[in-house]
Amino acid sequence: MSKCDRIRRELAYYAIGALGGRSRRRVEAHLRACPSCRAELVALERTGALLEKVGPESAPDDWHMVKGTIEAAQLHRRAPRLRWGWAMGAAALLILVVGALVWRPIVKTPAPTIVSITQADDEMRASLEGHLAAVWAAPLADEAAVGLRMADLEGEG
Amino acid sequence: MNRDGDNLADLVAQARAGELEAFEQLYRSHQGGIYAFIKHQVGEAELAADLTQQTFVRAWQSLPRLRKLGAFRAWLHRIAANLVRDEMKSGRARLEVLATSLGESDPIAHSPGLVGDWPEEAVLSEELRGAVRLALASLVPEQRAVVVMHHLEGMPVAEIAEALRVRPGTVMSRLARARAAMRECLGPYVEGNDE
Repeated sequence: MSKCDRIRRELAYYAIGALGGRSRRRVEAHLRACPSCRAELVALERTGALLEKVGPESAPDDWHMVKGTIEAAQLHRRAPRLRWGWAMGAAALLILVVGALVWRPIVKTPAPTIVSITQADDEMRASLEGHLAAVWAAPLADEAAVGLRMADLEGEG
Repeated sequence: MNRDGDNLADLVAQARAGELEAFEQLYRSHQGGIYAFIKHQVGEAELAADLTQQTFVRAWQSLPRLRKLGAFRAWLHRIAANLVRDEMKSGRARLEVLATSLGESDPIAHSPGLVGDWPEEAVLSEELRGAVRLALASLVPEQRAVVVMHHLEGMPVAEIAEALRVRPGTVMSRLARARAAMRECLGPYVEGNDE
């Protein structure tokens, strides 16, 4: 291998500034004496200059697409939280309704007593007492009302 | 950290706190670079646009896990690189290199491809721009990634190393080999008569 061949293997490194120390000095010494290798160095430097001039290609502006994808992803991430919130609310409502239904029969409705109707006049009071007695005897029949009416008729007679 | 770095870290912090407006600013300042990075890996514009969108959506979702706010760009490229790798594995992505190679054209018949003189004032002709893109496409993926990040996006070697999780020396080595390969590919376009 000739000296030029050896130098040219390092010339691209030299052209981009990647050689240092002894290697750099050896290449520079050779370049001073060798027009052919100097021409090769020029060609390498021109290659670099051409690359600088090409520059990046114009890129499409797709920001609206990027933004749309980001926002859709954010919405998707939020969605399960929203559904979970609704589920929690529905569960709470269900517990309230079921609780009310179960609780209602447990709470005893106070039975109507004579004491509770102290403001009625005597006639009404007597009628109600008779009605209550009839209801007590036959709670599931209309006979109570019939018996009450018969008693009233007898009284009038 | 410089003023730009502070501003970037502030924006990243705001985005991490859930501010979509701050994230939009980050998108606007990094979308071009990420698209170029992906496009040079997968070849197809539509797939590159799709993966660019995915990169930013994934970045938004992963922002809470980003430790170094100032390393946002490198981190973003790492996400993009992972997405590209997954696409390559799935077989959906493929880099379509044009059948026509530079060797088949007749460079002598063409102008040097530059409008004006070398070096800095030159403006690339469409033909030369195409030739450079073809030379880029001919590189192996690892070299192409570092070339795009360094030359097209202006990322320093250390930042590229962080993005790809390799040593800075590895990045330099890939850049040097890529430079040599591209020089071969561009042949007559870069050979001068001044020596």
